[in-house]
Formats: sequence, C-alpha cells, structure tokens
Amino acid sequence: MSSSDRVRVRGLSIYRPIIYGNTAVALTQKERDSLTSPDHTHRWTVAVRSAASPPNSDQVGGADDLSYFIKRVTFKLHDTYPSPTRNIDKPPFEVTETGWGEFEIIIRITFIQEAAEKTMTLLHHLKLHPWTVSGEPEIPPLEVALKAGPVHSWQYDEIVFNDPFQNFLNLLTAHPPTPLPKAKRKPIPFHLANPGSFEESKGGTPEFHAGMISEEAERLDDARKKIIAETERLRNELIQKEAELEKSKKLLADGA
Amino acid sequence: MAASASDIRSALSLPDPSAVAGPSQPKKPAPTTRKPEGISRELYSLIGPSQPSVAAQVAKPRLKQKPRFATGISSATKWELKSFQNSTRKDGLQLKHWVKASDSVDAEYPFAKYNIQNPVYTYSQDEYTRFLDTSNRLATLKDGKGELEKPWTKEWTDYLFKLYHEYDGRWHVIWDRAEFPPEAGFDLEDLKHRYYSVCRKLIRNRPWPGDEAGRSALINSLQFDIEREQMRKRYLVSLESRTADQLAEEEALYLEVRRLEQTERRFKREREDLLRTLAGMDSGLPYLVEDNGVPLGIFSEPRNLNKKRKTIVGQEIDSPLTPSGAGSSVSAIKRPQNTKSAAYDAQHCIIRTELPSSTSATKAAHQPAYIRSSKIPYLKNNSMQSKVLQSFAEMGLSPSRLVMPTKENVAQLEGLLEAVTAMLETKKLLDKADHDIQVSKKQLAMRNGQLEDGEGDGEPGVKTEEAMDVDQTHDETDGNEGRGHSVGTLSESAFDVNLLRGYKCNESLDTEYKAAEAWIEVSQ
Repeated sequence: MSSSDRVRVRGLSIYRPIIYGNTAVALTQKERDSLTSPDHTHRWTVAVRSAASPPNSDQVGGADDLSYFIKRVTFKLHDTYPSPTRNIDKPPFEVTETGWGEFEIIIRITFIQEAAEKTMTLLHHLKLHPWTVSGEPEIPPLEVALKAGPVHSWQYDEIVFNDPFQNFLNLLTAHPPTPLPKAKRKPIPFHLANPGSFEESKGGTPEFHAGMISEEAERLDDARKKIIAETERLRNELIQKEAELEKSKKLLADGA
Repeated sequence: MAASASDIRSALSLPDPSAVAGPSQPKKPAPTTRKPEGISRELYSLIGPSQPSVAAQVAKPRLKQKPRFATGISSATKWELKSFQNSTRKDGLQLKHWVKASDSVDAEYPFAKYNIQNPVYTYSQDEYTRFLDTSNRLATLKDGKGELEKPWTKEWTDYLFKLYHEYDGRWHVIWDRAEFPPEAGFDLEDLKHRYYSVCRKLIRNRPWPGDEAGRSALINSLQFDIEREQMRKRYLVSLESRTADQLAEEEALYLEVRRLEQTERRFKREREDLLRTLAGMDSGLPYLVEDNGVPLGIFSEPRNLNKKRKTIVGQEIDSPLTPSGAGSSVSAIKRPQNTKSAAYDAQHCIIRTELPSSTSATKAAHQPAYIRSSKIPYLKNNSMQSKVLQSFAEMGLSPSRLVMPTKENVAQLEGLLEAVTAMLETKKLLDKADHDIQVSKKQLAMRNGQLEDGEGDGEPGVKTEEAMDVDQTHDETDGNEGRGHSVGTLSESAFDVNLLRGYKCNESLDTEYKAAEAWIEVSQ
C-alpha cells in the first residue's frame, strides 16, 4: 500500500445500495415434526444483500457480492436462540433459522479494514406473518399461511462513505453495483411507508426497481402540493375568521 | 533551382514532402511528367520540385463523391408500420410509426427521453411571505435603488406560475396570453424577472438534496439580469430604427474614427522610431505594442472590417454593438457537464460536492459512513407529533420511513415535513380564532339579555358537559368546511364565565373577560 493510497478523496461521497430484511415460510406439520423444537412454525432467513436481484432467481436482491467492502455482518437474534450472536464472515451474509415469533434483529455491518469506518448498526423487525391492508398484524391459520407463500420484508437503503481513502475508493469503483432494473418486472416489495403498494406486492418473489425511487418522489411531491393547497385554504379561512372576530369585537366595544 | 529547394528543406530540417505523405494519400504525379492546367510550361518549370503544394492549389477542386446507392449486393431495408407506446404519455394513446423490420418490437420509444418537463416550482403561503413578498420592501427600495422591484402581489405571482406551467415556459406565449391589470404595466422582462427571482429564492431557501455545486449551478441557470436584458432590447430597437441618413452618418463617422486611429498609430510609430534613433535600441514606448490591438472595442481584428461593414450596410442586425443577451450568458454560465464523468459517477454511485475553499477541509472531522435513512429528519415538536403522524397516515405515508431512502427522497420527505408543520401551525391559529369568535359571540349573547340562563348553569357538572360539547362540535367541524354552523349553535347556548375561562387563550381578550366578569358581578 503506497502512502498516496491513504489519502482521503475530499469532496466526494460514494454510496452502495443495499437491502436488508427477511423472508419467511410457514412450515408444514410434517416439517415441524422433524424439528428439534416442534413449536416452531416458520423457517426464516434474514440477510444483508445488494439491492438488485440476480437474473432468473427466486431471491430478493443479492446480485452483487458485497464482500468487497463488507468484512462481516453480525446478526443479533433473540436471546432465546442458542448463541444468539451470529457472525457471518463471508457471503452470503444471511442467517436461516426456525421460530414462532417476530422480534427485532440487530444487524451490525463491519467494513473491510481499508474503509477505516466504524461498524454500522441496523434494526430489522423479523416478519413472519403476511402483510395486511390495515397494518394490524394477524396470524392466519397454517393452511392459509402455507397457501399464501413466503412473506417478504425488505428495506432498501444506501451506505454512504464520505471522503473515502483513495485505495478504498479504488476498491469500490472496481465493483460498480448492478443497477436496479428500470421498470417493474416482478411484484414490488411491500413497505409500510407505502400501503398503496399492497396489491402490487402480491404474486411471487418481489424485486426492487429504479422506478420505485421516482414513484416515491412523486408521491412525496404530490403530498406536499396537497398540503400546500390545504394550508392555503386554511389561511384564507383564517383571514375570514379574523375579520369576523374583528367585527364582533367591535360590536362588543360599541355596546360597552 | 531544384537543388536549392531541397537544400532549404534540409537546412530547416523540414521533412521531405514525399516522405510525409501517408499511405492513404494518393501518390503525387512526378513533377516532370505532368503539369497542371492553367499554368504555362515555362512558369511551371520554374517552380521546381516544391510544386506539390502549388499544384494542390492550382488543381481543380474535386467534387464530393457521389453516394453509391443500392449496389445490388444488399437488398433494400424492410420497413414496417408498427404501433408503439410512448412511455411518457399518460393517456396510453396508441400511434403507429415506420420502423425497420429488424428492430425489436418492444424497444422503448426512442423519442420518449426528449419529453422533458420543466420542474414545477410551488411555494406555500409561508414561504411566500418570508422570501417572496416584495410589496413591503418596495417602500424601502423606492428611495434607495429605485423601482427595481415592481409590486407583485401573491395573486399575480400565482397567476404567472400557472401560465408558466400551462405554456411550458414559452415566454412570448406567456406574455401574449397574460392578462395582468393594466396598472401593473408588466412587460416580458418583468415577468421573466419575477419568475426567475422567485425560483432562485426558493432554491436558495430550501433544503437542498444534492451538493452545493449543483445548487449554485441550478441557481445560475435561473439567473436573469433584467437591466441587461432591457438594455439589450433598447439597443436592438435603436439599431433597428436607424434612418438611412443616420446610417450614412454612422458610416462616415466610423471611417473618420478609423482614419484618426491610423494617424495616431503612425504618429506613435514615428515617435518611437525617433526615440530609438536618439536614445538607443532598448528605449522606445513600451505601451505601443499593446496599443496596436482593438480599436473602439468594436472589432476584434481590423481584417474583419470589410465583412462587417457589408453586413451593416445590408441592414443585417448582426449585433456586435450590443452586449450579449441574457439567454446566451445563461448557457455560458451553465456548468459544462461532462456527460462521460456524470455517467461514471452514476454507475459507481458517486456524489461530488464542492470543497469548502478555506482550510476547514483539513481541520474538519471526518464524517463517518452512515446509512442514508438515518438522515430522515426527526419529528421535533412533541405536542405536534401525533398530529403530524396523523396527517402522514391520511396521505398513506410515513414521516420516519421511506421505501427508497435515496438522497433526493430524503430531501423530499424533509420538505413535506416542513409543509405539514406549516399547515398544522395554520390550523392551530385557525382553531384559536374559532374559539375567540365563539367567546365574542357568547359575550354578545350575554349582553343581549340572556344572563338569567347563564346564572342557572353555575354547577360544575353542567360546566364540564358544556365544555365537552364545545370540543365535540369543534372536532366535527375540523373535518368539514362548515364552521359557521357550530358558531351559530354555540352562540345560543347558555353562557358561563367559567367556561369562557377555559378558552382564555388570547391575551387581547383578557380585558374583555374582566369586563364581562365585572359586569356579571354588578348585575348579580
């Protein structure tokens, strides 16, 4: 490593799109019987992956191998699991387990040494039961759950590195991330911040696509315009009210 | 003769012309075998071996080669009339066009990418009063800098923005269609000036998702210098409206100026020569060299003279006399975006920011790597939090989470949060005004001789019920438009001083309460 490598490239930030989350499948009675703990109802996989999905695959995300900048991912499971802290040092960065309940998983990402960055902590709520329109969790009976297929809960995010070291930057640019597909090819992953996507999220393995970014931007922009219009309306009403108030005050003053 | 030419070449270490000619160039004919047309043999033989350059000049200009059409080898390309979908159309209209049969059927409509919409700028009332309202500042400007800012009202500004979007920024159309009241007296520049200044102020005062360079580039692209533009138009008008006499006079004056300049230069040169002969080689007039350049700042080179004069005589308005228009200066300021590097940055997800020019770059602590969604702003105001949450839920959005937390979307969410907060503030004010009105109405009602009823309602049980009643009616009216009703019904209900106290939120009313209480005491 030459000394010039350990120079920070100022005025530059570089990010990598990732997704984290889980998939869960309900277990059949037969499968459950073969488990050591037969009260477990689901098999789930929690993972940290690149955002784009590999072609012709049934997996959400993970087109790129992230080990070029991630050294280790630690999944901290519920304390009731044996050795709840699972360190994953090589890709795929994921843990598959069985269980019966949803809980918060702490995901800790350690970057490679060249990055000279601290570990990053994410929180994911393990999702076992299907999404509902109302947002209220409900646990369907086994047959329904089996029929509905796997449950997906994924969060897109971006890891941003500011002023990276030259050699780390070189490493990153040597691995450009697979871009998200431009248009929707598969169902989109459901997200609580977009309940409107409930219908669109049905029907098989979801996939993130670039259109989701602009769609969300549009949604936010539309909402902002609506809010501004509403504020305007309220303001006009306020002006009227104040005039009215002025009038009745005057009436009072006149009488007194 | 022939020897001398090659000698000179070798002396000046110039390459031999025949050696330089690459394989792509046709071999020059031997000088002795052929002579070009239009040159006598005697003269030609005098030229010697350096002839290729001369021959090239003398030789007939060759015409462009005729394009070779269907040579019989490849058959004509097959074209088909196919329907296509323009992905930028919202109405899903199906049109047909001719495409090569070899093109794939589901290729994206290639012209869809040119359908670029101007970004829509909107502003809230709050932003308007804070940044955009010029009517108040006018007074201060009047005595200072003069009438630079015309008094724009909110309605006019709204109307201007509506027009801008309706006609997609085509200023001449906008100006043609705009119907401002005649006393405003706006001309095209005023409209442009207002529009661009509003946009600039909005960008400057809002949270910006991208880097500072992008922001300043955007602001620069929205730069509009109204004075310069007006001056440019004045110049153009005066240039257009010159009479023949004026033209002739200008011509004469110009020649006169040229003559004077030449005389002066000659005079200077002579002076310099004289000085040199008297005082030696190193002396002279140092400024003479620089002075040789541009006369009057009109033409960059005297050589252009003839051409330029022709255009002016020919009434063509090639406007070297006018300053460059705002339009061209805008495009010049625009940062030349290196498309290749932009593509590279997009591919590698790189965002470049302008470095602070000071030394702070070295001093500043390194900002550690972060996850983008951590930049989503927190809900600060606790009392407002539930209301913010509620309005976000109504819109089907979340104030703290995003599906795709990209840099732009985080910034968008921040803007939305601000707008929602502003709306809730307004609503709070409105509610307060409502209460105040109710209070006043009650006071009025009380004065109109309903005091007896008020005395009957003195027990606490009834009081709380009353208070709840008011709240309920009030909540209902929050949702719908008809606030007037609630006020009407309430004014008829019994009056209670204690109830009034509960709504004692406006200080200005305090005195009135006191008066009312005093009045009740007296009448009791």
